[in-house]
Amino acid sequence: MRRRAALLAALLALPGFAQDRELPPPPGAPHEFKLPSRETVRLDNGLAITFIDYGTVPKVTLVASVRTGNIDEGRDTWLADVTVEMLKESTTTRSAADIARAAAGMGGALSIGAGGEQTTASLSVLSEHAPAAAALLADVLRNPRFPESELPRVLANFERNLAVARSDPQTLADEALAKLVFGEHPFGRVLPLEGQLAGYDIARLRGFYERNFGARRTHVYVAGRYHRAALEEALRSAFGDWRAGEAATDLPAKPSEELQLALVDSPEAPQSSVRIAVPVPDPPHPLYFQTSLMNSLLGGTFGSRITTNLREDKGYSYSPDSSIRPRRGGALWVLSAEVTAEHTAAALTEIFREIERLQREAPAISELDPVKNYRAGVFVISNSSPAGVLGQLAFMDLHGLPGDFLSHWVANIRAVTPEQVSTMAREFIRPERMSVVVAGDVAGVGGSVKALPQFAGARMP
Amino acid sequence: MTGRQFARWGALACAAALAACAAQPPAAAPPVPGPDEVVAATPAPPAGAIDIPIEYYRLGNGLKVVLSRDVTAPTVTVGVYYHIGFRIEPRGRTGFAHLFEHLMFQGSGNLGKMEFIRLVEGNGGVVNGSTRFDYTNYYQIVPAHVLETVLWAEADRMKALAITQANLENQQGVVKNEVRDNVLNQPYGGFPWLTMPQVANTNWFNAHNFYGDLADLDAATLADAQAFFDTYYAPNNAVLVIAGDFEPPVARAWVEKHFGSIPARPQPARPDLAEPVQQGEKRDAYVDRLAPRPALALAWQVPERGTSEHYAFSLLDTILLQGEDSRLWQRLVQERGYAGGVGGGINLLGNEFTYDGPMLWMLYLVHDPGATPEAIIADIDAEIARIQAEPPTTEELARALTKLRASLYDLAGSSTRFGLLDLLASFALFDDDPGLINRLEADFRAVTPEQISAVARVYLAPGRRTVQVVEPGRAQPAPAGGAP
Repeated sequence: MRRRAALLAALLALPGFAQDRELPPPPGAPHEFKLPSRETVRLDNGLAITFIDYGTVPKVTLVASVRTGNIDEGRDTWLADVTVEMLKESTTTRSAADIARAAAGMGGALSIGAGGEQTTASLSVLSEHAPAAAALLADVLRNPRFPESELPRVLANFERNLAVARSDPQTLADEALAKLVFGEHPFGRVLPLEGQLAGYDIARLRGFYERNFGARRTHVYVAGRYHRAALEEALRSAFGDWRAGEAATDLPAKPSEELQLALVDSPEAPQSSVRIAVPVPDPPHPLYFQTSLMNSLLGGTFGSRITTNLREDKGYSYSPDSSIRPRRGGALWVLSAEVTAEHTAAALTEIFREIERLQREAPAISELDPVKNYRAGVFVISNSSPAGVLGQLAFMDLHGLPGDFLSHWVANIRAVTPEQVSTMAREFIRPERMSVVVAGDVAGVGGSVKALPQFAGARMP
Repeated sequence: MTGRQFARWGALACAAALAACAAQPPAAAPPVPGPDEVVAATPAPPAGAIDIPIEYYRLGNGLKVVLSRDVTAPTVTVGVYYHIGFRIEPRGRTGFAHLFEHLMFQGSGNLGKMEFIRLVEGNGGVVNGSTRFDYTNYYQIVPAHVLETVLWAEADRMKALAITQANLENQQGVVKNEVRDNVLNQPYGGFPWLTMPQVANTNWFNAHNFYGDLADLDAATLADAQAFFDTYYAPNNAVLVIAGDFEPPVARAWVEKHFGSIPARPQPARPDLAEPVQQGEKRDAYVDRLAPRPALALAWQVPERGTSEHYAFSLLDTILLQGEDSRLWQRLVQERGYAGGVGGGINLLGNEFTYDGPMLWMLYLVHDPGATPEAIIADIDAEIARIQAEPPTTEELARALTKLRASLYDLAGSSTRFGLLDLLASFALFDDDPGLINRLEADFRAVTPEQISAVARVYLAPGRRTVQVVEPGRAQPAPAGGAP
């Protein structure tokens, strides 16, 4: 409110800004948006296949999502990543080069990677190659050879990536934050320890694969233009006799609710990487829409309060941003900002000022409605491509959301009131539950950060 | 770059998947056709090829307009591209073109600071801008019913810049933080997209620091900004692209209503951007304070954009470097294990169509100290020698063309349409012919295997390359780096 008044005053002071400013033409009537149709079939071994019809160009995207990842590593950080990388290194019938050439010959590239709870293998190809793409995906997931000869090279690549990650102040900040928030849970370990990768031999990779890959944990999503009968037949034939395997691991990560502050030293860094995390409701929770909209207004959009303050008012930071990271059972509100070193404590003060202001007073309708419009507009954009719809459905499946989650999404966002937004900030963005990391030149900035009143009594591990 | 929604400036992701077209030397003052004269029509595409609908015309003030209708989703993507990039920013003001891009969000005739962004976001859209070699673009994707609002807003800032000293200083701070984010406080920051042109090129326009020296950024004044705006942000130096769900007659009327009255301004002659053909290999090395491992980049000048050689070179790039099936990936990554990947292409900040002047083909990798640059270069040389001596096989060329076709469909089918916007705008601004997009596949199919070997022999000659080595500034830090 205060800022708007100040802005207006500044405008009126400018030459050429008479009171008779021209107003933008108002928007017309919204066009209808229909979610693409979809259908899921389940094979006898438990594997699910979702078919999504979308788009006009003759391409199809196939994504196999396996419910495994870093969550199944125990203390063996990156064991999932190394295992998954090795799947591409050859199958019982194809070399790595064969796999790359086969994918390219269909107009695509095989992409495979481990995430926290989902490992995905994806391939986007010209429509006529859809059945062959299904066979290639299945071959990589089902028949890995784990060649001993390739492991040293693959491990050397991970060691190099690790060295680069450890020299990046932003990654170090993320690592420290995960450790504060998730502690001993696998999600608390972002980077392996020195020497740890060298211990990952073929037997351990195979063991990880055998324990965690199988039809029961796998959901194949198909989106685009394709011949449905031919592709379903190809998928059934490629995956139908895969072993069922174990059910997905149930190991919810419980985030810290204690005030903690960690300083990570990056001597002479011209910027400080600031990270703040606090637990919020996860997607199945009835308050999810309210917290999600609260985040958009507070720090989740270009025009949001924290971004406007740190970037457009103060010039402390290029791209401050907050988001909700929806881990199952342990969703977090996370704020990330790279700020000029000398303004580190000042930036934190401004962030807390914006949080407290939202906790104290509900936003005006005139501020909240545009944020709702933004979310509704981005929802349409996100659901307007095969990959977008596919991603949304995978998200719903991971979190066990109801089938009508997307159909009610916009209405649920529209229903949130200004008071609820303020209440969410009060209930959940509580400084006494925050985990905070500042990675930067500790000698230069550490003292002023620790002296901030919000950190009085903070645990400093 | 104002932003956050999409790829940050300087990200090393190489979007290159396509190739070249007709470079015409820009005229000092382009001839201005009559009002709404249709200056190009889309010719019939070859059977089975991509067929993107294109309507192209100019307003009386010289503003180029490209309309491409696609009603798959109820959204519309709008881009205004000005033919001014970081390449020809003023001497003594390195980084100014990019700083100026930020200023375009700081106020115009009827919109105050932040109001443009609020207008777009508040109506359900996303907005951003970026600065490249030869254009600065401003683009948004919005719900279809908001099209006129956005056209009005883009016209408003084409009409007048209205910024204050405080806004300028604020954005100088933001841009300096952007440089710290992307270059100064990152291992391998700016490598090689920012560092290599400064070594490989000789003409200042191609060889200065495009992000800007911090002192130059600080030196910028309001008068600089006004002069830059008055010179380059004229309708006759821009193209407006509208792609998505709209009614063409209605859109044309809105375009005329909001942009039609903006006066044309004489454009200065573009400076001579020519790079002499390189005579002899160049070598460069520098220490990166944060880098834990050495890195290596090589660069060569590419054939002039729009020539048949350039099309052949684009296919050469695909065969040598694009994708895990490419020859250099297979040799350097899969067989030798020098690196986890090898990156590169023509124009790392776009693709082989989205620039207008000399350009480098680069390849780069981060490797271990055990492998010397000489050993890696010997492997690269061997692959280059192989394709120089022997044309690619029919099967290999077919695979390259299949990848090209798939990438064209991706452009046409994208929900953001940003890739499409980039190509239509570049072909309109630089070639006066956005219909080129529908002829790309045929033009690529005309390339013979022997032409690919021939361009490799001429353009990838050892005497024409520049080698840049990044020396690690520190050993691998202790685990956890002091984290709890």
